[in-house]
Amino acid sequence: MSNARKAARIGRRRWASRTFHSDAQTEMELTGGSTTQLEMDLGELPLPVGSSAVAVTPLIHEPQEQVDFFDLLAESPEPTPQTIFEGMEKPVFAVSFADGRTARFQHANTLLESFEAQNIHIEYQCREGYCGSCRVRLQEGDVHYTEEPMAWIDDDEILPCCCIPTSDLKLQ
Amino acid sequence: MAYTTFNRNEFDTFDQPMFFGEQVNVARYDQQKHKIFENLIEKQLSFFWRPEEVDLTNDRKDFIDLPAHEQHIFVSNLKYQTLLDSVQGRSPNVALLPVVSLPELETWIETWSFSETIHSRSYTHIVRNIVPNPAVIFDDITKNEHIVRRAETVTKYYDEFISLSTLYQQLGEGTHTINGDSVSIDLRDLKRRLYLTMVSVNVLEAIRFYVSFACSFAFAERAKMEGNAKIIKLIARDEALHLTGTQHMLQIMARGKDDPEFATIAEECREDVIAIFAEAAQQEKEWAEYLFKDGSMIGLNKEILGQYVEYITNQRIGALGFDPIFEVRSNPLPWINAWLNSDNVQVAPQEAEISSYLVGAIDSEVDTADFGDFDL
Repeated sequence: MSNARKAARIGRRRWASRTFHSDAQTEMELTGGSTTQLEMDLGELPLPVGSSAVAVTPLIHEPQEQVDFFDLLAESPEPTPQTIFEGMEKPVFAVSFADGRTARFQHANTLLESFEAQNIHIEYQCREGYCGSCRVRLQEGDVHYTEEPMAWIDDDEILPCCCIPTSDLKLQ
Repeated sequence: MAYTTFNRNEFDTFDQPMFFGEQVNVARYDQQKHKIFENLIEKQLSFFWRPEEVDLTNDRKDFIDLPAHEQHIFVSNLKYQTLLDSVQGRSPNVALLPVVSLPELETWIETWSFSETIHSRSYTHIVRNIVPNPAVIFDDITKNEHIVRRAETVTKYYDEFISLSTLYQQLGEGTHTINGDSVSIDLRDLKRRLYLTMVSVNVLEAIRFYVSFACSFAFAERAKMEGNAKIIKLIARDEALHLTGTQHMLQIMARGKDDPEFATIAEECREDVIAIFAEAAQQEKEWAEYLFKDGSMIGLNKEILGQYVEYITNQRIGALGFDPIFEVRSNPLPWINAWLNSDNVQVAPQEAEISSYLVGAIDSEVDTADFGDFDL
């Protein structure tokens, strides 16, 4: 296993062991209180109809009972080279508009989705490249179409709904 | 010269223009001068739907509960759309098929017209479901002056072109005396009329439908007439594709990509194109006024619908390489986009009809990158 992947796994374990502590337990550790005290505290709270203090007890887990979900998933296939580029930065591209708005393209399926996530409003309709509503003028840069655009576009225009950048972009 | 259903001449399809070249003989799709039309055909086929798929039983209840002025808005739009699709279900075939010269374009025209007939069928499906006697609505289409007035501008270019092109096919170029009238037929003039007909069709698909679409979606935003909105969504998806088809035809013509004469014609007709777009926008605004004559509906009124018409006109004329003709810069009805995107509410094919779910299709494209993680 490569170092990058090991680091990723260790990172996940740490996250897992942190999150799967129950809140009640964390509080006990912090306050040094006992189980009885906790039950009493809970007893003062208005419990939902049909529940009782007995139902509360299983909530308190012993640390060794914790399950690492990522160990259960160990059988699942290794990440493929398409999803993890070893030793390579994930591509991030800067996109700027003629009116001064800027955006960063990263981890999005399409340029349009990336804009929407960054509150940049672009007209859209079909989101599949056949209606041409999202047409924008490309002043600088290159894009790759993930789906062949069918709408009529001029040589200097792109359809953000079905492309991703392959360089920094300047749009109008 | 006369139209033949199977041209015996031998010719190279790549030398043919889209229109007024050799008449098509073998319907073959192995050689394609303009691949886009093949793509459009495939997309349109993958969009196939039937009106009966959409259940309208709730729409009947909704319709009965609508106040009278909203019933007027709903029914009037339905009548107007019925008119538009009646025209579009036959006219591309009648006008364009006799003069087309490329098999893929010929098939696209047929596929395009066919899908308009589905739209017409869906209006009957809607009308049958909301009123006891459909004839009341359909019979009024040819009587209602507001609809008839617009029918004239919608059909004018088609009719003039068809009448002259029929004479051209029978008699050829020149001055002919027909029933005592002298008619001069000139191929360049025919091409000019064809170009303007295409512009008028483009306007029909790009602008005229959208006032009705906006109203249907505005009803559905209030959870009224939702079955109708689902059908309109399917229609809007088809119309967006047809619009792309006419935009491609117009641009191929305007750039003289296969017939240089069309480039000069397109240049000459720039003013006419702007006039056609402006006239359609004006008529749609008047239509909005007629729709809301007895009262507006929640979320829409004639001002906002007028702005939407201006906005969409700017968008569409921009796609043909013209400057905007109205001031409006942003979409006054942004919520419409979500309705016009027909895939946004659908989850999985087994749960709902995914609108672009292509039955029996597999992705057979294999790229070398697909073998990137193979070790031998």
